[in-house]
Amino acid sequence: MVSDRTWRNLTVELKRSHLAKLGVVLILFILLAATFAPLLAPHDPKQTNPGEANLPPLGFSETRTESTTVMEDGEITIVEEQVQVNAQMEHPLGTDHVGRDVLSRALFGARTSLIVGIGGTALAAMFGVIVGLVSGFYGGRIDDALMRIADIMLAFPSLVLAIALTGLWGQQSESIPDPFHELGLAPDMPAEIVIPSTIIAVVALVNWVWFARVARGEALSVRNEEYVKAARSVGASDLEILWRHVLPNSLTPILVLGTIQVAAIILLESSLSFLGFSGANLSWGLDIAQGRDYLSSSWWIATVPGAAIVIAVVGINLVGDWLRDALDPGIDQGEGGV
Amino acid sequence: MTESLLEVRDLEKHFYERDTLVDRALGGEPVSIQAVDGVSFDVREGETLGLVGESGCGKSTCGETLLRLQDPTGGTVRFDGEDVLDLSGDDLRSFRRNAQVVFQDPFSSLDPRMTVGATVRQPLDVHSVGTKAERTERVCELLERVGLSSDQYDRYPHEFSGGQRQRIGIARALALEPDFIVLDEPTSALDVSVQAQILNLLSDLQDEFDLTYLLISHDLSVIRHISDRVAVMYLGELVEVGPVADIFESPKHPYTQALLESVPRASTDERDREIETLSGDVPSPRNPPSGCRFRTRCPSVIPPEDVTIDQREYRQIMDVRERIESREVDLDSAWEYVADEQPSSGGSSLRSLLGDDVREDPFRERHAEAFVDRLEERMLDVELSGSHAQTVRSALHELCYEDWEGAASILAEEYESVCEVVSPALQDDRTHPVACHLYDQPDSVTANVADADVSAPVGDTVRTDGAESD
Amino acid sequence: MPRDLLSVRDLTTRFFTQEGQVNAVEKVSFDVEEGEVLGIVGESGSGKSVTALSLVDLVEDPGRIVTGEINYRNSELAESASENAPDAVDGDFVDVRKLPERHRRALRGPDFATIFQDPASSLNPSLPVGEQIAEAVEVQRRASANPRSTRSRTQSYGLGKFLLGTALPGQGYLTEESKARAIELLELVGIPDPAERAEALPHEYSGGMLQRAMIAQALAGEPELLIADEPTTALDVTIQAQILDILGDIQEETGMTILLITHNLGVIARMCDRVGVMYAGEIVERGSLEDVFDNPVHPYTQGLLGSIPDLESAGGRLQPIEGNVPSLLDQEMEDRCYFADRCPNAMEECLEKPPEFPGPGSPDHAAKCYLADHPYEPEQALPEDYFDDESSDTTVGRDDGKDDASGEGVSADD
Repeated sequence: MVSDRTWRNLTVELKRSHLAKLGVVLILFILLAATFAPLLAPHDPKQTNPGEANLPPLGFSETRTESTTVMEDGEITIVEEQVQVNAQMEHPLGTDHVGRDVLSRALFGARTSLIVGIGGTALAAMFGVIVGLVSGFYGGRIDDALMRIADIMLAFPSLVLAIALTGLWGQQSESIPDPFHELGLAPDMPAEIVIPSTIIAVVALVNWVWFARVARGEALSVRNEEYVKAARSVGASDLEILWRHVLPNSLTPILVLGTIQVAAIILLESSLSFLGFSGANLSWGLDIAQGRDYLSSSWWIATVPGAAIVIAVVGINLVGDWLRDALDPGIDQGEGGV
Repeated sequence: MTESLLEVRDLEKHFYERDTLVDRALGGEPVSIQAVDGVSFDVREGETLGLVGESGCGKSTCGETLLRLQDPTGGTVRFDGEDVLDLSGDDLRSFRRNAQVVFQDPFSSLDPRMTVGATVRQPLDVHSVGTKAERTERVCELLERVGLSSDQYDRYPHEFSGGQRQRIGIARALALEPDFIVLDEPTSALDVSVQAQILNLLSDLQDEFDLTYLLISHDLSVIRHISDRVAVMYLGELVEVGPVADIFESPKHPYTQALLESVPRASTDERDREIETLSGDVPSPRNPPSGCRFRTRCPSVIPPEDVTIDQREYRQIMDVRERIESREVDLDSAWEYVADEQPSSGGSSLRSLLGDDVREDPFRERHAEAFVDRLEERMLDVELSGSHAQTVRSALHELCYEDWEGAASILAEEYESVCEVVSPALQDDRTHPVACHLYDQPDSVTANVADADVSAPVGDTVRTDGAESD
Repeated sequence: MPRDLLSVRDLTTRFFTQEGQVNAVEKVSFDVEEGEVLGIVGESGSGKSVTALSLVDLVEDPGRIVTGEINYRNSELAESASENAPDAVDGDFVDVRKLPERHRRALRGPDFATIFQDPASSLNPSLPVGEQIAEAVEVQRRASANPRSTRSRTQSYGLGKFLLGTALPGQGYLTEESKARAIELLELVGIPDPAERAEALPHEYSGGMLQRAMIAQALAGEPELLIADEPTTALDVTIQAQILDILGDIQEETGMTILLITHNLGVIARMCDRVGVMYAGEIVERGSLEDVFDNPVHPYTQGLLGSIPDLESAGGRLQPIEGNVPSLLDQEMEDRCYFADRCPNAMEECLEKPPEFPGPGSPDHAAKCYLADHPYEPEQALPEDYFDDESSDTTVGRDDGKDDASGEGVSADD
């Protein structure tokens, strides 16, 4: 499906734009982290160790004032002493309030974010694109009805809608075995990958409207192209036309939108986890919520997952911009010699 | 006479604007656009019928409607004896095999994401013709036949020039060996040198495969070059149909005459050729003129029998009437002008009071003459003679009191033309029928003329110059 | 003997695209005489529109005028330019390209006015038509009131003026006189009831009316040269006839010089005194209308004339030019006659670029073809398959759409 010309546009634009390069690097970084989390992570992300709680990241060793309650002669005194807390090589980004390794949690959190981001976008795109293509292609009453529904969906603030739906459906999740664990490559790591199915369904339901609108707009313009009329004139059915002509020629903007939606959904998932609506127990949003209470003393607990979100979202958006710039101008315009 | 392959009767396609649920809910009336309004013609086996008209006249819609690419709102289309508009399922599929189309825009008519081979093969795939290998072979044959090479099977459309793309479109149309092809502006996007190649190819293919063409074009020289008969369309209606030589050498309808005259010839005596250009623009198909649709631009509108008037003056009066009837005259600015011109009352101060003083009846009465003068100056390009000038002035006088209807009725009473009251129709059973009141009209039309109590021309008394009697 | 108003020498404009360098206009030279209508005819991709844009310095990125002189006769301008740009001046002529950018821009309107193919996109959709024309009148008035000040010429309706106009209605940019002149201009181009129509917005105008308004706007500057780039291509024939009529009348009345660019040979025949035929970025034949239409020398001109179906008589077979318009990509262009691969009379010497030879007829007649110099020699003919390797390669320059807004197919029906 991808022509040489498309490849050339992509590479030319990538060479030209430093931001696009940065985006690709960031995304590769996150993808690798998520895929190989069990191999890269130094610890089991769920392993608590109260003895090593609140360790700072490397380079941030600090002196802390610790108060100990001492009972002496029936009198309770509070002894304050200065304790030197050293960062440990084992926990390069420190540990959280119950001694879990922050780096490991961030690596595993990437899995949840990407699963929800990509899964949610795929589901939203599938549903939205079907609705949009049908709506735009047939027009008339069908279009009227579908687009009014879409308008109503858009009228709700997406976070409120997502919370309401999560509350309604509960927070279910599925688990699949982790291949690295199965192969015995990472015996100390969690054995399962958690897929927060409710959250995926919710974010898809909140975001399909965007796909529907874009797909409808494309279908509206493609259906008036003469090649669609030509296909009809040789007797092709509507389904054939939608599948062979309308969908392929609508894909470019849908792809660009999809990229950007992954980022939006990652943010939405984080917000939901932050607010306590999460199907997974490893999530950047969740970690930020937990780290919030320690912001003044142990800033890294919230900052590390926060930075991870920033890296993922910025990376994806930069890639989205790259795709848009490279694919948009005139791929569908006949640009042959005149 | 050869048999008709295609018979189109009273074909009608109206589009509706403002027709969504919301519009309905708000109680809006849908606006209809009469793209094709009662068109009848035959296409005979083996001939090329040229359908010519300006943009927006409905000729492309007509072509698409009779192929069932759009659903008509009325009329019948018979192809090879079968009613096309009733077909469904397998019958519709077999009709699609026999009737094909070549589109205007070589850029939009090919899917940019399909290879040339896949594009030409698509009709064969849809109708499951032969085995896969046979289809591929057939596609290669077709590509060679239209002047491309079979090596180009796997190329994408953007690698081809406009003329080559049009050849691909022709190959696709030929794939199912149809009897009938609608050529919808097949060369209007091409340069002349390439256009000539494509026109030659189309003629060769017609001879080779016994094809019947309906050629839709705005380019009269293309129509003349490859048509056997020609139908001229204006604003959704056919105004004249006839053999190509008759249409081009002795056009009857004033529109056809004007159209032919307007085309600049590529020869050195072109500069000295006098042409009388048509005035005005094509009216909107949302609200087409009553009666003959060409009457708002026609240089030979028929005046009532008891009125003697020069055609240019008559044209002028009809234009003024049109504007009064549609209330398209800015009276305020005329009053403003009149007020400004009053030296005694100190122009600017009075002008600032505009809206109070000026609208007062005494002011209107005092300055009615000046107001009418101003309107006359603005609206009339042609000096009117004697009684006509009087009538027009009296009508404009009504506008002093914003009596639009009064003004309109004064003019209507005096100048109502048969052209605006009764729609002319194509005459039956003639080789060169024309829909115009300047010529004998069918009985149904003459009956309407009698009912409407307007004077129709009698026989040959009124004729445009150069028009031959039939 | 008419004087030249404009004398263009070796004008070369190139586009530097991703696919490579496109030689849109290649060493084009021509003169425009005062008071004449000069036509430039060519197919899409021939570089005719880029030539027009180059004259008014409106070639857009990635295009650039590479070399060439555009000498414009204007003694006043020459005088004022001799102070700040002495190299540009040669007698009464000023090489426009050597003027500073600000001065060059100031020529647009009062000196060179342009009308384009698509009037709808050339007018501001949110301002009344009359006001836009009055604005052009105002610019001209200021320019002629103070011809030596570039400031008055370059000053236009900027933000400051806009704010001032909004705050103090009496202080508007447009005077009553320029508004009245705008109405006169609208009347001149045949718009009925111009006083009323001047208040209307562009979308209330039909295509033909808009083109008239465009012409009125161009005339507002009382330009020395009107450049009309495909002025009637987007219009129907009956409307085209009206517009050509108006252009012809105005030209006759005012003696304005017109450079008319079109692909339509009929329009050329109707309007022009002299003609240049462009092919692949070059003027391949030029001369009086009679020279080019009745005694064409260049096989391309002959082919072009032979390709048009005749309106007056039923047609036999047309004589098309075989093959396709060449891509103008630099790497695909050889140093030969660019038409040789499509030419029925290509000879061995055509592999070397022909100079311009004088043709029969008027002294103006000339063609870049060896056949203008000596007759065809069959024994010198190139073998028929000589160019086959190239011509079977159907890849065409993907960007030649850029140099000639592929406007030939605009007549979208319905």
